[in-house]
Formats: sequence, C-alpha cells, structure tokens
Amino acid sequence: MRKYWELMKSQIKLDSAYSIWYWSGIVATMLRVFVIYSFWNAVYDHRVEVSNMPLNMMLTYVILAAMLSNYSAGVGYELANQVRDGNVAIELMRPYDLMHKLVALDLGMKITNSIRNTLPILILAFLFLGISLPHTWLMGLLSILSAIIGIFLGAQLDMIIGILAFWVFYIWGLRVLRNAVFLFFSGALLPISMFPEWLQTVSEFLPFQSIVYVPVAIYTGQIIGNDVYTSILLQLAWLVVVYTIIRLLWSFALRKVTIFGG
Amino acid sequence: MINRYARLYWEFFKMHVKVKMEYRVDFLIGILSVLLIQGTAIFFVAIVFQHIEALHGWTFYQILFIYGIAQTGRALEFAFFDNLWLLGQDYIRPGKFDRMLVRPINPLFHVLADKLQADGLGQGIIGLIVLITAMVNLPIEWGMGDLLLLALLIVSSGAIFMAVNLFFASLSFWIVDSIPIMGAVFTLSDFTRYPMTIYSKGVRFVLTWLIPYGFTAFYPATLFVENADFEKIGLLSPVVATIAVVIAYWLWKKGLKAFSSTGS
Repeated sequence: MRKYWELMKSQIKLDSAYSIWYWSGIVATMLRVFVIYSFWNAVYDHRVEVSNMPLNMMLTYVILAAMLSNYSAGVGYELANQVRDGNVAIELMRPYDLMHKLVALDLGMKITNSIRNTLPILILAFLFLGISLPHTWLMGLLSILSAIIGIFLGAQLDMIIGILAFWVFYIWGLRVLRNAVFLFFSGALLPISMFPEWLQTVSEFLPFQSIVYVPVAIYTGQIIGNDVYTSILLQLAWLVVVYTIIRLLWSFALRKVTIFGG
Repeated sequence: MINRYARLYWEFFKMHVKVKMEYRVDFLIGILSVLLIQGTAIFFVAIVFQHIEALHGWTFYQILFIYGIAQTGRALEFAFFDNLWLLGQDYIRPGKFDRMLVRPINPLFHVLADKLQADGLGQGIIGLIVLITAMVNLPIEWGMGDLLLLALLIVSSGAIFMAVNLFFASLSFWIVDSIPIMGAVFTLSDFTRYPMTIYSKGVRFVLTWLIPYGFTAFYPATLFVENADFEKIGLLSPVVATIAVVIAYWLWKKGLKAFSSTGS
C-alpha cells in the first residue's frame, strides 16, 4: 500500500510544480507593478505634472513599458546555452536556420505568455490602477505594430549573447549585462523624454529605444503626428541593420569554431 | 567544532578562488554586470530627482542611503548564501542532496560552502559606493558609535535576506523545487528601495511583521535620518534578524526530516 501512496504523492508534486511556476510568476509581476504604481504615485504627491506628463499618462507609460520589456529578450540565452553545451553543432546540421527556429519557438512562448500572464495583469491594471486607453484607436493599432517590430528587434539584439558565448563562459553574467543595457536604454524604467538632454541624444543613436519607448510612447501620445510614422520607419531600418550585423557576426563566429574543429 | 567548520570553509574558499582565477574574463564580466545593473537603478532614481525635490519628504541622498544599506546587506547574503537558490534545482531534483546527507558535516553548511558568488563582490563595491556617497552628503556627523551601529544593522540586513531565502528554499524538501516561490518573495525586496511611507498600511504590515524586508534598509535608515517618525523601531533590526534566522533554520530542520529522495 505504502508504495502506491508514495507514487500518488510524487504525481501530485509533479503536477503542482507547473502551477507553482505559473502562479509565482503572476504574483511576482503583480508585485513589481504595484511597486511601480506606489512609487509614481508618491512622485506625483502634490504635483499635477512631471516633465509635462500628468499622473495617469505616466502610470500608463511605466506599467505598459514594464510589461513590454518582458518581451525584449529570450532567444539569446537559449542560443548561448546551445553554444555552450555543444548542441549547436548538431543543430547546424539540421535543415533549418537555427536563429529563425529559435525566434519561432520564442514567439510561440511569448504568445502563450501574453494570454496567460500579460493579459490578466493588464486587465487588472486597467480596472484598478487607472491606466488609460490609447489616445486614438489608430494610434492604438500603430502601437501594436510598433511593439511587434520592437519584439523582433529585441530578439535579434539578444542574439549577441549567443554569439559571445563562443568566447565567454559565464552566460549568466552576460545576461545580467544585457539586462542592464536593455532596461536602461530601452525606456523600460521611465520615458526617454525624461532623460537629461545629452542622454536623449545618445539614446537616439542606439537601437534600444525602438524596443520599448517607441511603441509605448505612440500608445500614450507622447509621440504624435508624422513623428509616429518616422519612428516606425526608423524601427524597421534598425531591424534590417541589426539583423545584417548579427548575421555577419554569427558567420564569423562559426568560422572560428570550424577552425578549432568544433 | 566551530574551528573545524572555519577550517573547512577556508578550504572550500581557496578552491573557489582557484576556479575563479581560471576564468578571469568571466569574473570581470560578473562584477561589471552587477555594477551596471545597480548603476541603472540608481541612475533611474537620479533622473526622477531631476524633476522633483523630494519623495514623500525624502531627499535624493536619503533615498540613496536606504538603497545603500539594502545593497550592502544584500551583497553579504549574495556572496556567501547564494547557493540556497539552487537547492531544489541542483541538489534535490538530480538527487545530489543525498550525497550531502551521508557526509559527516552539517548539510546546510555543505550546501552553502559549495558556492561562493564572486558577483557579490561587485554588489558589495557598488553598495559601499552608494552608501558612502549618501553618508557624506547627508547633514549627519558620523561618530565611531554611529558607524558601528550602521555596520551591525547592515549585517542584520544581510541575515534577514538570508533567513527569508532559507525559509522559502526549505520548502523544496516538500515540493522538490521552490525557486519560483523564492523569486516571487524576493520581488518584495524591491519595495524596500523606497521609503515605506509610500505604501499602504497593509503592505507595510506584511513587510514589517511577516516578511521583514522593512528591516533590511528602511527602518535602519530611519535611525539616522532626521525627518523620520520611526526612530526606535530600527533598533529592533538585529532582534528581528535573529528571530528570522531561528525560524528559517527550524523549517530547514523540519524539511530535512520530511525529505525523501527523488531517487533519480
């Protein structure tokens, strides 16, 4: 009898593992959103505007940006792991392009994640935290388009980690490094328009603000008129440039591997 | 007894340093990455303070002071107790924990000594830089007594971070891997970067009496900062730390008893 009891218990453990992951993820995201909410409310204490933005516009920006920044990465770490454990050699022999495959898998994961994780939290944020709707419906649609381009751009930039993994052993460190750069320059923490002048200029010459700042600022109406279209075109241009550079680096890295005999 | 463990830890320590020296680039990347991610958080606060003068009555350097205490305390925990995160994933699930049980040393000591997180050094450096910057810029005369008290509070802060992690890591004995729960609980420590007065009563209660992250930085900071209304409660920090460690270790012991191997 005892052994069947134990078997039953082990199955319960197995099943609950997944739901523990799921619920812990939701709770962690909600807590993070709540900290952001409390912090910005305190910032607006006795103030109507900060940097020309009213409170609800700011809250909409920072909460959406925090959610969107969850989508900016993922593939690079996977690629880095495959490079590290040598699986990449087998993957390269298969009849598909490894990088495209990783992006496809990653997209699938992001879509399920949107439905199971992001959507419920966004609904709660709309209901209880006073996030606004897009300022016009057209801009709402354009911001979704822009967000999708941003996600692709983020995935391509993320590949850098995978490429560096040929030389650097410590992938976790690379990941934290990447996180820091993304977090800051993408506008995930606060609107780039709040940066000091010189930093805004620096940021304009980097691809990172196309990942989070541009889509969210289109949504909130911080970017308006013709600037919306030029921003999206610029995003596309960055996507092409980064894609090409990453490809070149990758082929260079692979050549190096073959010289060493894999 | 203590002597033996100290000597053992030293041996483990030397091994870790040797390993690290083999991968110097990685070591540097680790330190740089922690510096940068913490720098990002501070820069964020600095930019916000370009637009406002005070957050609920707290100035930039006062916030920096809270932040510095939290980061330095966390660095202690990060450097020496980081392996707790991997208890489920690297020890219990693959069956490696069974090995710890047959060895003639305390299994908790063994798990902890198994890893020294070199990135903790980076965290410690930035924590101290932030803390000292804040201390120099605050209108406070720092006497020897104050510094000793501050050091005690920082050690308590590290102990609280450790105790909370140990408590939730111990759940792995029942559910195999509790890392997602640890992660969710650890998110709560984000709350402590800012003055607790910006949160509602409920949140403050949780962070004071249930998961005592409030004692890792905010309450200790109120002992030194002039405008605070909490003056006395910060002194409880070492007491809270001790109680938290005792409770966490009690749960760990209980978990050990309940532990049955995954058999893989």
